[in-house]
Amino acid sequence: MKETTKEQRTRARMMPGAITLSGFLGKDKRTLNAIISADEQELEKLGKTAEELADRMFYFTDASFSTYDGTITVDEYYIVETEVTRGKLPCPYAHGGIFRKAITKLTNTKNNTSVTWSFLNIHLIKDHHFFEGKGSTFRLEPAKLVETLY
Amino acid sequence: MIIVILKDIAFLSMISVSLAIIMVIAQKWLSNYGECKIDINGKREITVIGGNSLLSSLSDKQIFLPSACGGRGTCGACKCKVISGGGPLLPTEKPVLTAEEIAAGDIRLSCQVKVKIDIKIEIPSSIFNIRRYHAVITEIIDYTYDTKGITFKLDEGEKIDFLAGQYVQIDTLPYASVKQKVSRAYSISSKPEINDALQLIIRYVPEGICTTWVHQFLKVGDHVSLTGPYGDFFLRDTEADIIYVAGGSGKAPIKSMLEHLQVVGTNRKMTYFFGARTPKDLYLTDEMKALEKVFPDFKYEPVLSASVASDNWTGKTGFLMPYFAEAIRDPKNTEAYLCGSPGMISAVTKSLIEHGIPKDKIYYDSFG
Repeated sequence: MKETTKEQRTRARMMPGAITLSGFLGKDKRTLNAIISADEQELEKLGKTAEELADRMFYFTDASFSTYDGTITVDEYYIVETEVTRGKLPCPYAHGGIFRKAITKLTNTKNNTSVTWSFLNIHLIKDHHFFEGKGSTFRLEPAKLVETLY
Repeated sequence: MIIVILKDIAFLSMISVSLAIIMVIAQKWLSNYGECKIDINGKREITVIGGNSLLSSLSDKQIFLPSACGGRGTCGACKCKVISGGGPLLPTEKPVLTAEEIAAGDIRLSCQVKVKIDIKIEIPSSIFNIRRYHAVITEIIDYTYDTKGITFKLDEGEKIDFLAGQYVQIDTLPYASVKQKVSRAYSISSKPEINDALQLIIRYVPEGICTTWVHQFLKVGDHVSLTGPYGDFFLRDTEADIIYVAGGSGKAPIKSMLEHLQVVGTNRKMTYFFGARTPKDLYLTDEMKALEKVFPDFKYEPVLSASVASDNWTGKTGFLMPYFAEAIRDPKNTEAYLCGSPGMISAVTKSLIEHGIPKDKIYYDSFG
């Protein structure tokens, strides 16, 4: 299916150098809808929703955000490190949302896995079901995310 | 049959071209706002060509409101009071305005407000001191694995007057896949007494458009432009004791304050807590320690929060807050200057207030 003008504009904002250095799509040539649909199908197989994952991500980021050095152990098994840097990023969907530049690294010590996400990732997953394109710096593979979050 | 199809195509093309011409003409008429006047603080009036944003209209007249996002409506730094002529509040402004500002109705994002009619605004008078400067890079120092000190020598005859603690915004140049310039804010780390050059301390941010440019593309001899000075985080001229607290690149404004006090001289009791995670995050330690011999009552205290035994670190560890008690002798007569992450600022502010330092004497620059 062809992308609408609005989707094309969103895609343009996701390109390298527009909002972030490497953009949101990596080397993924699929349409935004195709990327989102594929990830939604995988989520269904995993028995999770995008909203559930985003809420869980926010739970960890929020716990570490206001700590002195951004590091905290949560629920015994999860080491959370959030680093905040100066400035904010807008959502590429351009609905007015802006997000602090904060990167959270979550390590699950039960299964020794870790994932890294930004504040913007949480929003993109919760509100747009967008996990970023394959090969993007902040692409989150749903299966890896589920494995680490739970 | 083919001729009929070709005729239809030609007919449709003519309609399309005609519509495009009509739209171009209409656009010219509809978006021609002519000359508009901007009344600033009821004291100064400038005339601009209507249709552009308030932010760019002002900068065209060498009046620079802060803007860290290059006019994309994301940083909120360009807020100003629009008394009249700004039109209704736009959806693109609301995310960066507080509930109080939205309720007041006159605080607007100057990058989003279009100048279409005469407009009245109020801005701090200090804004008139902000100018655009052109400079050449004369030195790049690696302070740590991810932090550099960059020295900018202003072009011949240019001088910048700033207060220790204030910041400037530098404009990037297009590089690699980045086709547009962005502006980013960084605190000045050099002393105000040197006014023909300045130094910034810039930490690399993964995926950051500006910091990648600075760390990987900027080199000695490059020409750049910047605007400033901005900000109300500056050293107050009092005799109160001082607690400085910084983390990461937050060392920059504190360095400027200390170097300024070194020039003007001071007897103030001062303690500087620098919070870092590991020894590799420390920098300028010898320089800061050396100031203990310069000032009559100054102590520099680096504190590591994630030091391990193999670091062989013999200094203070953990959080900064437990060490405040020994540094505060008269809380009511103590000022605090903080620069770092929101989490650090929040935890430190809470602790300083618990120690009796008045809230209005705690000045901070949170990485907003």
